[in-house]
Amino acid sequence: MPDRYGRPPRGVRPTPDRDSKDWWDRLAGHEFTVQRCDTCHTDRFPARAFCPACRTERWHWEAVSPEGTVESWIVNRRPFMPGSTEPYVVVLVRLAAVPGCLIHGGWDGDLEPEYGQAVQGVYADMGDDLALLNWRPAE
Amino acid sequence: MAKRLLEFRDRTAVVGVGYTPFTKDSGVSTLTLACRAIMAALDDAGLGPGDVEGLATHRVGDSAAPSLVGPALGMADPTWYLDQFGGGSVSHAVVAQAALAVAAGVAETVVCYRAINARSEFRMGGTGRRLPVSPEVQYQAPYGYFAPPQQYAMYANAHMQKYGTKAEHFGRLAVTQRANAVKNPRALMRTPITLDDYLASRWIAEPFRLLDCCLETDGACALVVTTAERARSLRRPPVLISGAAWGGGDSHLSGGRADPTTTAAAALAPRLYAQAGLGPADIDVAELYDCFTYSVIVQLEDYGFCAKGEGGPYVASGATALDGALPVNTHGGFLSEGYVHGINHIAEAVSQLRGDAGDRQVAGAEVALSTAQPGYILPATSALLLRKG
Repeated sequence: MPDRYGRPPRGVRPTPDRDSKDWWDRLAGHEFTVQRCDTCHTDRFPARAFCPACRTERWHWEAVSPEGTVESWIVNRRPFMPGSTEPYVVVLVRLAAVPGCLIHGGWDGDLEPEYGQAVQGVYADMGDDLALLNWRPAE
Repeated sequence: MAKRLLEFRDRTAVVGVGYTPFTKDSGVSTLTLACRAIMAALDDAGLGPGDVEGLATHRVGDSAAPSLVGPALGMADPTWYLDQFGGGSVSHAVVAQAALAVAAGVAETVVCYRAINARSEFRMGGTGRRLPVSPEVQYQAPYGYFAPPQQYAMYANAHMQKYGTKAEHFGRLAVTQRANAVKNPRALMRTPITLDDYLASRWIAEPFRLLDCCLETDGACALVVTTAERARSLRRPPVLISGAAWGGGDSHLSGGRADPTTTAAAALAPRLYAQAGLGPADIDVAELYDCFTYSVIVQLEDYGFCAKGEGGPYVASGATALDGALPVNTHGGFLSEGYVHGINHIAEAVSQLRGDAGDRQVAGAEVALSTAQPGYILPATSALLLRKG
């Protein structure tokens, strides 16, 4: 493993769709949300109109703590996009608040992630109107 | 539904196979590649363009549509066509749907093709490629994550962590497939490699090294599908389509099926086997989609050749070598023969069942499984079970 990690390419902005724009706006305000079904109360991520459990459409954004465990990770050793410095890490996190849901993010730890490691989200501001969610070992 | 599927069994056949050479720079358009592979497949079958009633392909905005290819070969009025959007996961569904059209009598003879300049024009894994159009990309690309080698490396590491799968397992697979390619005159990579060569190859995205990744290839391949009845009067030994299945729909990233170590193939396999009345023990040769080493290991598990988590040790045991219990990717696969996005696996399965695979022929091969990208990236997959006619 390298002594220190580089950073992913900067300036690759997400292209929200009509279902997800509000989720990104809330993330920019450092609020991490999932959709909670108003009918059966099942949580889901990423943004979708229908609840896959009960197939109804009524839902609301529910703020949850960005916590989880490391499901997997990779160490990028070549430039997949212009503007990155290698090596940089991308983690796949199993969300504590939403059983069965995984989320990708950057890695904000000094050491390599470990399988099953408890992690917490860290907001990374990318200007006034955008934040990304990176992950670091839980305290 | 089950009854109709049984009626489909062995009603159609693959009667011709055609290729262009596999290169790093074809120097021609995908339309030209498609026409050349189609003409070669028709010639192999002893048919001409006038016999073709339908055309089918898949593509991701990177290749020639049937509506261009038909007129280019003087087919003014095809009775059926399929222009499927999608990558490797739908590669076998294209042939499956062509077989359905033939079985239904909509078109007696259909040519399936895939033409791709994946090295000189449209690099799947390369720097500078446009981002794919998918709602999932917004949650990944801002972190510098979007290319297939990254995605598969992520899933491979999950498997390594959960089941103890090792780099040496991936390496043995790469070495074994290269040994097959050495015996295949069509293959791009014909220099033998060792496990040390694998371990010394440069990092791409850990846990993947260069030799975990398939080639990016310019080339085309085509298959002629017709009724089993007509196949008996043609010049090549017919290869029957005993089972053809496609499906999926549940994502690893949503919908609550968040086990990245299992693919859509696990759900599809029982349907496929039931349709053909065959099981893993009946299969003599398996051509398993190998965009990366790991995809073969997870499919060995999900198609039932070994227990979950045992794919790595199964490969290390030598079982997947040409002289093993289950020869896998006998042509060298996408890792060493070339990458035509799925169809060259089907073509190799046909070759093995006809008995014309030359130095890499598996003696007495009667049943072959050929599979598509198993359902990572897009949550769908497809597969064919073929039988010597």
